[in-house]
Amino acid sequence: MNLYQDIKATAQAYWITLRNMFRKPVTIQYPEQKRVPFERYRARIVLTRDPDGGERCVACYLCSAACPVDCISMQAAEAEDGRRYATWFRINFTRCIFCGMCTEACPTRAIQMTADYEICRRDPLTLVYEKEDLLIDGPGKEPDYNFYRHAGIGVVNPRGQGEEERPPADVRSLLP
Amino acid sequence: MPEWLVTTILILVKLGFVFFLLLTGAAYMVLAERKLLGRMQLRYGPNRVGPFGLLQPLADAVKLVTKEDFIPSQADKFLFFIAPGIAAVTALLTFAVVPFGPPIRLFGREVPLVICDLNIGVLYFLGLSSLAVYGVTLGGWASNSKYALLGSIRALSQLISYELSMGLAIVPVVLMARSFSLTNIVNAQAGLPFAILNPPAFLIFLVSVLAESKRIPFDLPEAENEIVAGFHTEYSGMRFGLFFVGEYINVIILSSMVTVLFLGGWHGPLLPGIVWFFLKVGFISFLFIWTRGTLPRLRYDQLMHFGWKILVPLALVNVIVTGAILLLLNPAKG
Amino acid sequence: MPTLTIDNQTVTVPDGTNVLEAAQQLGIVIPHFCYHEALGAVGSCRLCAMKFEQGPVKGIEMACMVQAQDGMVVSTVDAEAQELRAAVIEWLMLNHPHDCPVCDEGGECQLQDMTIAGGHGIRRYRGKKRTWINQDLGPFIEQEMNRCIQCYRCVRTYRDYCGGDDFGVMGSRNRVFFGRFKEGKLESPFSGNLADVCPTGVFTDKTCRFRSRSWDLQEAASICPHCSLGCSVIPGARYRELQRVRSGINRQTNGFFICDRGRFGYGHVNHPERPRTPKLQGADAAWPEALQLARRRLTDIAAKVGPEAIALLGSPRASLESLALLHDWAKQLGGARFCGDPQPGRDRAARQLTALLGSRARSLEDVRRSDCLLLVGSDPLNEAPLLGLAVRQAARRGARVIVIDPRPVELPCNFQRLSTGPEELPQRLEHLVSTTEPTDDLSTLRTLLHQAERPILCGGGDLLGEVGIRQLAAAADHFGTGLFVTLGGPNSYGAALLSGDGPDADQLCEEMLAGKIRALVCLENDPLADGPQRMARALGKLEFLLILDHAPNRLSRQADVFLPTTTVAEGSGTLVNNEGRMLSFSTVFNPGIPLGISSEGGHPPRSFSPTTAGGEPRPAWAVLAQLRGENQSPEMIRRKLEGRDSRFAGLSLLDPDGEGQRVRGGGHPAGSHDQSFPHPAPEGSLPLLVVEQLFGSEQLASLSPALDAVQPDPQVLLHPETAAARGLKEGDTIALHTELETFSLQLKLNAAMTPGLLLATRLRDTPLELFAPGSPTPCLVGKGGGDA
Repeated sequence: MNLYQDIKATAQAYWITLRNMFRKPVTIQYPEQKRVPFERYRARIVLTRDPDGGERCVACYLCSAACPVDCISMQAAEAEDGRRYATWFRINFTRCIFCGMCTEACPTRAIQMTADYEICRRDPLTLVYEKEDLLIDGPGKEPDYNFYRHAGIGVVNPRGQGEEERPPADVRSLLP
Repeated sequence: MPEWLVTTILILVKLGFVFFLLLTGAAYMVLAERKLLGRMQLRYGPNRVGPFGLLQPLADAVKLVTKEDFIPSQADKFLFFIAPGIAAVTALLTFAVVPFGPPIRLFGREVPLVICDLNIGVLYFLGLSSLAVYGVTLGGWASNSKYALLGSIRALSQLISYELSMGLAIVPVVLMARSFSLTNIVNAQAGLPFAILNPPAFLIFLVSVLAESKRIPFDLPEAENEIVAGFHTEYSGMRFGLFFVGEYINVIILSSMVTVLFLGGWHGPLLPGIVWFFLKVGFISFLFIWTRGTLPRLRYDQLMHFGWKILVPLALVNVIVTGAILLLLNPAKG
Repeated sequence: MPTLTIDNQTVTVPDGTNVLEAAQQLGIVIPHFCYHEALGAVGSCRLCAMKFEQGPVKGIEMACMVQAQDGMVVSTVDAEAQELRAAVIEWLMLNHPHDCPVCDEGGECQLQDMTIAGGHGIRRYRGKKRTWINQDLGPFIEQEMNRCIQCYRCVRTYRDYCGGDDFGVMGSRNRVFFGRFKEGKLESPFSGNLADVCPTGVFTDKTCRFRSRSWDLQEAASICPHCSLGCSVIPGARYRELQRVRSGINRQTNGFFICDRGRFGYGHVNHPERPRTPKLQGADAAWPEALQLARRRLTDIAAKVGPEAIALLGSPRASLESLALLHDWAKQLGGARFCGDPQPGRDRAARQLTALLGSRARSLEDVRRSDCLLLVGSDPLNEAPLLGLAVRQAARRGARVIVIDPRPVELPCNFQRLSTGPEELPQRLEHLVSTTEPTDDLSTLRTLLHQAERPILCGGGDLLGEVGIRQLAAAADHFGTGLFVTLGGPNSYGAALLSGDGPDADQLCEEMLAGKIRALVCLENDPLADGPQRMARALGKLEFLLILDHAPNRLSRQADVFLPTTTVAEGSGTLVNNEGRMLSFSTVFNPGIPLGISSEGGHPPRSFSPTTAGGEPRPAWAVLAQLRGENQSPEMIRRKLEGRDSRFAGLSLLDPDGEGQRVRGGGHPAGSHDQSFPHPAPEGSLPLLVVEQLFGSEQLASLSPALDAVQPDPQVLLHPETAAARGLKEGDTIALHTELETFSLQLKLNAAMTPGLLLATRLRDTPLELFAPGSPTPCLVGKGGGDA
């Protein structure tokens, strides 16, 4: 019967809310009580270094292209040894939505997200992080990876002596 | 001390008591609602200001008073000014006729615990609740905003529709109590409350009162996900605060009316009358909050359909049935 | 006109079209590397495989190598073809270093696109990759051979299309190297095109190395402002800095390629010394103040002395819109003097051309398709490089090329040279037309021109001058050939059309010296560098000088009022190229001091500012409209000009991505003018001919730091016999005495020179800048002397 069903459903609804009133709230009382984030929690972004201590970021602009809110900007430049690096690198955390697309896009594992979620500030300008604020001393996740060991442009090892490379070819050789 | 002076002083004292009670009551209703809703949703609700968040109403008041008082440039300034006042004052005035306890003896005289025992108290209540519509309607109209106007139109039609069923639900009470005076109605329930004697009238009245208070599930006039905030869209600061306080005073008044008309007012065993009265009012207020935590909002056509096609006919039938039964039971007095 | 079916769609294509092009016409994209519209198909990348199901060819074939024929039924989505393409792209990627993050091509890389389109995503090959040692190819092109996929586009562009011979392919089997035999600067003036054609990052633009990704660049269709051909270019800007220029596609003008001057000459836009604020006698001022003062002074002079006392001097690098406003302003002032070009010789030549060109006008595409080309007084590689490229294409198709020029002209193709003195050019042309006295060398030329189907006479406006162009047009009439004459600047033709038979800059100079002209308005020109030689003296007589310019102008500090304007890349407008083709350009970015200059180390500021630093320059048309007290948009100006002057009909409908449209109707030659030298040539003097050079002569490109590396040293050329007669030898520093100035230059001997002629290139910021290009000056030669 329709009316019976309706009344029963309404009564059930009232019962559920009433019962919930006497259950323990799930709220975490934030400043006193802090949640332990998961390992892959997406919060404050850092720039990591490769295992040899060099900056991993090659300023390829992929993170800034992937960023849906356009909060990453940088300028690439060439160092004397041919290494491509960022002369300046800026993340505007007031705009960042911590979606993690930048870390997904990063081909060198330079840009990574940490679990440090407590980065609220009163002054928005203090949330505009520059390269010196972002760069950390360690390799972060994937500690053994160094992009330049694999890209054959010869920065950390001489040309043709990378991990998957043969020595430079000699065009004048007649040998097969 | 002349007789008239004592009467005046007594009335003023009662007025002060009621004012204080109503305003603090309304303020703490807000807190209670937020806490209870929080618990129903497995949260704590406000618990930062004072112990258990008890000073939250004070903080809210300070916030509302210090906020910018914004008036839309195209608004009708005069009406915009007085509309929140109308809403709050009509709500407050209704309490004048509510008897909140049995008469007590004070300084050797019988003092009725009602500010003014009008012999047409029921009509006074109906009249004021009709006037309350003006606060909402004028506020929405004077704001000169689409959403506010839509909200006030909704409020107008909703309040008028449900006033009808509310009025019709009171008719059996008046028939049974044979009086328009609220004190007499309470006294008529010394034995059994009318809620038990005439449950259909009680339920119809309860639903109509929910609708009159413009609260969930009947909060269409301020449905925030449809029309921003309805009639008070353009109000800010203490002007919004008056609408807000008015709504919660209204909840208390309407709970009192339910108590007086159907739950036997101050009558109850063991405890003093005044305590019974406030317990009953508290329970009905809790019912309001509980409903808000439970039911979703009606669709507009459902609201009108329910009012006009179910409640009003039901109330009419109830009036006739009650009248007929009373006539059968008591043919001599008829 | 064969009709064939590709993927169930039927298409009819012209004869000789290959199946890949036919598929492109249907909008079907097939991965390909070696095919390029300008280079043709060679079938070396093996990527455009399609399945031929019915018709004369059957099975899997390379679409670019199969001519479309009637009855063909082709499938591009056939499983077998797709599998082959996926396998081929995987092979191509075997040795690719996967270094996209540090590769400038990333984002606009055809290899990236085609790899994904071909269906290859994960590297399966576990073997090692071949590597190379790179070469330093000079200041323009960066090489990274590891990325090479052997599509041969670079050699085909550099050697076949552009005619360079210092770059090629070496090696065998999987050791194929594309580069120079020895490290060094690429010599072709079209080397920049390697960056455009290379489908991956082997050759990239060194001047914008690691600056930007393609997706970050603000790009728009624009027109190259560095010569009169009006090549289509696509400048790219980021952080308020013009960072690179790449070639646009306009099949009527440049085709697919541009020269290095157009590609790397963009530095003037970012020049640190570019004036960016209005100035009142050298002191910075606000726009309203400067505009108001200029307006008041001009109206005062017009009221006091009369409107003829105001001269408005346009420029061949100003847009048609601003020139039209200036021209109209002259009328509005009640008859002020208007002249479109500060250089009288070029001005008169351009006006003569507009009057005579008519239906003889030919485009660069016509030049490429011509079968006989006669170049008179034209040195394409130095004056209009893309003409040289077009001549090469004609020669590749079998056209005969003959050059009549006093200079040791070089072309990227075989040609026959008929040497002559600079003043004899008109006579030679006259001889060519007159059939009565045939000389030996001209008679064969006459026969050739008569026999050819699509002959074109090309000329250089500088050397030919007014008279020469008249003769050239007469010759074109006589032989029924086309006419293609290069002019001084990107809008010389437009300026000439508007100038009509008005005064030229010489006349204005005279009137200024006579005190008739009291006020001068210079629109985007530097009258000291490009005007008549008397200009410096004449400027001193002025009461009021107003300069509008975007380049560092010598007069910006002396002018009573200086108003900064925007460059071509920073505004929109129209230029009329040397064949009378109106080409419109659109705004690439808004002006402002580049971040790299305005802030420390290029780091953007951390504070907010409501205004852009250095964002004050406004388009010249906007400034002129404001000077006239009006508010006009370029569309309004175009529509008004169309309405006023039917020659510009269609101007408002021009599409910057389109091919442009020829003006309808010609102009007027300038009024008669005494061309004799003021003084007879002194005894023993030689004519000194100062001509344009590819790098260093054009004003805007000379401001580009990217071209500093290729800036030639100032030197003077002489025929060995003439040198020997005067006891001079190669490498001597010789003093040159002209009536204008005395300076010394290093001597270089060249046997291809015309005997008895001194040839120097007009380099900016040297005394040579003051000489009008193309008109010889008598010059006494002495030995020794200090440095130039």
